[in-house]
Amino acid sequence: MSRKNEAIPGVDWVAGAGRFVSVKKSLCTGCGDCVKVCLGGCFEIRDGKARVKTLSTCMECASCWYACSQDAVSFRWPKGGCGFRTNWG
Amino acid sequence: MNQSNYDVIVIGAGFGGPVAARLCAQAGLSVLLLERGAEVGDKIISGLTIPFYGFVFGPDFIREGNPPIERPVDGIINYILTDIENGRMEIEDTLRVPAPFSPVVAFGYNAYCKPFCQWLAQKAVDAGARLRTSVVVSDFLYENGRIAGVITDGGERISAKIVLNAEGSQGLLAVKAGVREKYPPDTISLADVYDYEMDKADVDRIFGHSLRFCWGWDEQKIAPPLGRGNGLMVWPYRGSLHFMQDQCIRKDDGPVYNLKKALATYHKNVTEKLPWWRDEVAPKVKLRARMWDGFEIFVGLNEKLRDMPNYTDGMLLIGDVAGLENTELCDGVPTAWFSGEIAARVAIEAIQKKDFSASFLKKYSDQVRAHPIIHWSVRARNRYNLRFAQEKHELAELKRCIHEGWGLGAFGHTSSALVKTALPMIQEDPAVIGQWVRLFLRYYYNWHHERFDYNCKKPLVPKRPPTPSRVLALSLKAMDLGLKAASPFLSRTAGTLLPKAQNADRFMQKVLPTAEPIYLAALKATDPLARRLGEAFLKALVNMDPTALDGDSTERSRQ
Ligand SMILES: Cc1cc2nc3c(=O)[nH]c(=O)nc-3n(C[C@H](O)[C@H](O)[C@H](O)COP(=O)(O)OP(=O)(O)OC[C@H]3O[C@@H](n4cnc5c(N)ncnc54)[C@H](O)[C@@H]3O)c2cc1C
Repeated sequence: MSRKNEAIPGVDWVAGAGRFVSVKKSLCTGCGDCVKVCLGGCFEIRDGKARVKTLSTCMECASCWYACSQDAVSFRWPKGGCGFRTNWG
Repeated sequence: MNQSNYDVIVIGAGFGGPVAARLCAQAGLSVLLLERGAEVGDKIISGLTIPFYGFVFGPDFIREGNPPIERPVDGIINYILTDIENGRMEIEDTLRVPAPFSPVVAFGYNAYCKPFCQWLAQKAVDAGARLRTSVVVSDFLYENGRIAGVITDGGERISAKIVLNAEGSQGLLAVKAGVREKYPPDTISLADVYDYEMDKADVDRIFGHSLRFCWGWDEQKIAPPLGRGNGLMVWPYRGSLHFMQDQCIRKDDGPVYNLKKALATYHKNVTEKLPWWRDEVAPKVKLRARMWDGFEIFVGLNEKLRDMPNYTDGMLLIGDVAGLENTELCDGVPTAWFSGEIAARVAIEAIQKKDFSASFLKKYSDQVRAHPIIHWSVRARNRYNLRFAQEKHELAELKRCIHEGWGLGAFGHTSSALVKTALPMIQEDPAVIGQWVRLFLRYYYNWHHERFDYNCKKPLVPKRPPTPSRVLALSLKAMDLGLKAASPFLSRTAGTLLPKAQNADRFMQKVLPTAEPIYLAALKATDPLARRLGEAFLKALVNMDPTALDGDSTERSRQ
């Protein structure tokens, strides 16, 4: 099963990826860097802390992981064969 | 049942992994190539121009093969935007292969990652490697403190004598194993890539075979200016374009940028204000895909990161995960190929000697660092310096950086690396010159006829033209005979010149200021004639019998 997103053409998201990106609340300072670098709009700040809003537009670039100076974002790959796929890279 | 024990496990079927896998399999080793995507290439996002030096100096199966390419590239046109509101710009286009050689002698080849990596992976499989997709390597197996295999996300444990890790720029596994640190955000550029469909005839007419780069002042918000980013880059493909803007996540230790906002603004400004995009390109294109990915363009400029190990007990790092992206052209494919080849050689020797210790594997690191093109790739500084000119609005300085990075001035810092790589190959076997000539001719022929090894629309050997042009085939035969006769002389000469190769940059820096204006004026004067010659040459080339262009390995694989 895969999904498309009208705003991001040419990319499919294959279901079953799991929660491969997450924020450790105890480490997060709520600075919003992850929100700023994520082109997929996957993060939001709630009650002064970042949280993953959706992974359905995640292109697995890991910018959130690089940008977080507190190491609060944990990032691993989605389950094999899942997550984004494209023919046009 | 999946086998649980191999000589070599290669992680990642991107650009570097399959090269290492093929060479190890060819040496008779049992090889497992693991890829997390459901299909090879699903997860790879790129430009993509693979510069000529990857093909010329890289693995011979690529040099002699027929991989799927989208367009040969003959040079770069740099647009320096001084006033976007009024469409004012200057042009630097001195780095181009001139007629009659263009576009056959190419500066590089544009390609989509997916078919190209599938071609590479198939070559590994053909040589006997086992490919498994939809498998994420999540950790390593250890034996007496050394890496001795992998653990997959499905919990499988697969052991190997040696692991070759070509996992790409994020390097999650290399960080986990403690070989490298996570790259800091000022080394990573986030690239926003748009794929547009366009009629081939329009691409031919508007772009021809040139890449287009744009540079400008920060506040114009047209070419990502913040920190050490790129300008806008446009790659012409066969019947489509790749449009890319990218920007480092932060500059030095400064704050992280709002890339979501910035990249959206740049894209809007370019498509609405850049005259040639707005007037010529926009009416002819249809957006097909949008993708983004980060790449580690400035790892090489950070000495500590650059000198971090690319090996540990039982494992070697290949390509982007070893921080080998070029700091100037942002190309990482040639260095992934070179390091893949070196890794395979060292792995084969390690297996023969049964020594997988870090102290033995250090020879991989030594050879990678000594490779002249890799050495240059991870040090060139024009792109880095360009930001100071941008910040200060120094047009002369900006033009100098662009000229030295992506104009003729580039020969002032690339010549030594190229000559130092070419001469030992000629010294070893001058017949390689014949391979280089055939490479350029064949790749153009293949592009023209869409003649590729796999997934090709036309068979590998298309029907011979009813009256094939024989001039080129005969010239190639004559070249082969000439090279054979001159072989001892060429080999000796290459050997004599080699110690002087490191002076090539200094020599070019000295002669270029005088030679460049003369060269450019001569090109202008001879251009009409050269173009006519070029057209006649192309006609003969596309009408020849292609078997005369194939390299030895193509013939071997057909037998
Ligand atoms: C936007 C952009 C533009 C670029 N433009 C150019 C260009 O014009 N010219 C050029 O030469 N280079 C360019 N590059 C760089 C080039 O794409 C890389 O240098 C090249 O892909 C590196 O090859 P690699 O084998 O090291 O890694 P990759 O090609 O990234 O391959 C890594 C592979 O490993 C797989 N993988 C990762 N982790 C795991 C795991 N744990 N388990 C299983 N599989 C895994 C991935 O799915 C992937 O297939 C560009 C890069 C980007 C992002």
